Amino acid sequence: MAALLVGLRLKQLGRSLTRSPWHIVGLVFGVLGALSILALVAVAAIGLRVGAPQAVPLVLVLVTSVLVVGWVVGAILTSADESLAPERFALLPVRARQLLPGLALAQLLGIGGIATALSLALLLIAWSTSVATLVAAIAMLPVALLTCMLAARVVAGLLARTLASRRSRDVTAVVLMLLLISSGLILNLGVQAVASSASLQGVLESVSGVLAWTPIGATAGVPAAVAGGDWLAAGIRLVVALGTVALLWWAWGAQLSARLVAPVQASGGGRVHSGGLVDRILPASPVGAIAARGLRFQRRDPRHLLNAIATLVLPLILVGTQLASGGLAPGLALFLPLIMALMVLQIAQLSLAYDKDALALHVLTGVSGRADRAGRLLGVGIVIAPMVVLASVLVAAFTDGWALLPAGLGAALGTSLVAAGTGIAVGAFLPGRAPSPEQGPFGRGSSGGAQSLAALAIMAPIVLVASAPAIALAIAAVVWMPWLGWVALPVGLAVGALAVWLGIRIGGDRLDRAWPEVLAAISSDD
Amino acid sequence: MTEPVLSLRSLHKRFGPKVAVEALSLDVPAGSMLGLLGPNGAGKTTTLSMATGLLRPDGGSAHVLGADVWRDPVAAKARMGVLPDGVRMFDRLTGAELLRYTGLLRGMAEADVTARAGELLAALGLDTAASTLVVDYSAGMRKKIGLACALIHAPRLLVLDEPFEAVDPVSGEAIRSILRGFVGSGGTVVLSSHVMELVESICDRVAIVAEGRILADGTLDEVRAGESLQQRFLQLVGVHELGEGTLSWLRSS
Repeated sequence: MAALLVGLRLKQLGRSLTRSPWHIVGLVFGVLGALSILALVAVAAIGLRVGAPQAVPLVLVLVTSVLVVGWVVGAILTSADESLAPERFALLPVRARQLLPGLALAQLLGIGGIATALSLALLLIAWSTSVATLVAAIAMLPVALLTCMLAARVVAGLLARTLASRRSRDVTAVVLMLLLISSGLILNLGVQAVASSASLQGVLESVSGVLAWTPIGATAGVPAAVAGGDWLAAGIRLVVALGTVALLWWAWGAQLSARLVAPVQASGGGRVHSGGLVDRILPASPVGAIAARGLRFQRRDPRHLLNAIATLVLPLILVGTQLASGGLAPGLALFLPLIMALMVLQIAQLSLAYDKDALALHVLTGVSGRADRAGRLLGVGIVIAPMVVLASVLVAAFTDGWALLPAGLGAALGTSLVAAGTGIAVGAFLPGRAPSPEQGPFGRGSSGGAQSLAALAIMAPIVLVASAPAIALAIAAVVWMPWLGWVALPVGLAVGALAVWLGIRIGGDRLDRAWPEVLAAISSDD
Repeated sequence: MTEPVLSLRSLHKRFGPKVAVEALSLDVPAGSMLGLLGPNGAGKTTTLSMATGLLRPDGGSAHVLGADVWRDPVAAKARMGVLPDGVRMFDRLTGAELLRYTGLLRGMAEADVTARAGELLAALGLDTAASTLVVDYSAGMRKKIGLACALIHAPRLLVLDEPFEAVDPVSGEAIRSILRGFVGSGGTVVLSSHVMELVESICDRVAIVAEGRILADGTLDEVRAGESLQQRFLQLVGVHELGEGTLSWLRSS
């Protein structure tokens, strides 16, 4: 059974590579990234072993803990890979017990799993301070690897269940986003505290000392205790580490057996209150209808909901970290809302991809490309434009920099508009790939990343050049004369409006020429 | 003879090495209901996709009431209503919202859309599910809302891919009477199906496709040639005879 599942996994990976060149690009980037991280780990491990052997236990407990947490966060962010979802085995007469070993191996067979195994192996260099320590580290290596993988699977499984129903999916999405924001803040506060405290080493030592006893860091805690000659601590930490793996293994098995008989099925959420308000406000035309549909999807489709939340939250994270690191420089904070343009760019570019083959309706009804482009922008703009204004006003309020508000507004609105126009134009040529609505809202299609990167490489220079006048004027307003902000605002709006107008025309005309090709590009699931 | 409503001329399509549709020509006269038959993988959906503007053909042309689907797509698409098969819908909209969306995309006046949407939902038995998200619809309900979307702008030509699949008998009868009334008033229907009895009971023309080519095309009686449609279909497409010993292990006694 295990060999069969591993074979299946390898075959899936192989097939996906032969089906689309974007997969190969994605794989190459992934491998290059993993290799550079591995090289870093190797250099650091050798440096640590040679330069500061007494700090080895302390550092490695921290590193291993980060690895485990990284896997869990990764599982939350990319829970879309369901190619070996337990539901697929629900019709076969197999028990969870038979599936578990094979699924575990198959999960480790990816860039992430292999890179983690190699990193752990490279860390052995640092552990080689004594024979006993090295032996303990080698023995704990598979335990650490299993902890990473199992923790990720268990968390992903819990998430899959809660994400299946509409209401809890919305709640989870919001809570997760809030957690991510606050984690940035906490991290920043932590770094501040560590940096400002007199003995950096003391803080790290106490953190590392606590982690070594917890399930997260116990696998490294064992060799750390052995290195210190504390055999009792080593024994207790061994029990913690093995107990964690046993518990996770049991939990994963329980999840698996539950999903074999009660598959997780995404549900929509039944009847909804159909807000007539949206229909009354927007014109009864193709453009208005598309905008209204976009607004409804931002509420009802978790993928769109998450994008909208992220747009608002990104600048808030930055404001928060700035505040945490002691005061907000008004001149600098002014430009934080610019980060929203990045989200606008992505939302506009991927807008078609999120529709998947439902876009066939637009093709069949013969709606004009320009109406499609304009409608989508209108729908996005109704939500995001107020957010951009709000963010700029908030920044001005926080920093008491009201004089600079027009400059900030001009830069933020201008850049966002330019981003919207660029994204909507490029999106008609490179629509990218998005996870299908049945999948988790956090995933990207496995090859979506590579195509998005290519699109970004095209779009970024355009946005930078086109938004330069407004941003330059805003900078001038900050460093020279605040009244220049009153020039930045109309310049930003004018250039942005031009970009949107051009984007709708260029993107729309491309769609009119190539509707079937665009439809085929975004319909495929791989 | 008057101009055909749908006219396909030597349509070609290949996917890599596989030829899906080869030199396919077909005329559908006004006021007829044509059943498009063929085994799995015969190229029915590919043909209908090329006729409706979803898939660009490698060669050949498609005309709807004189408008070229690929040179003047807006005019051609305005004249036909399409129910594609196996295509996602904007399923985070409710049934009523999806109908309104489709009508507005078609450029219809809001008052017409509202009035017709209500009538269509009632006629297809979807009025109780009007404010349920389409994602929660059953397979049959999706077919029905898809059909309603194809009908809302009162097209001259209906192209329906498997319109009766998964539809319950009551709704099936409702769809039949809608289609009969539509054809009776001069409309034209092209539908694909695998159910011979159904095609015999509602269609007056039949075209049989296999391996991307038309094997037979004409009125129901011409194609049947005195036999049942089922027998004629098997003769044309070729029966896959099972030997005596095939799957013998499956017989339990």
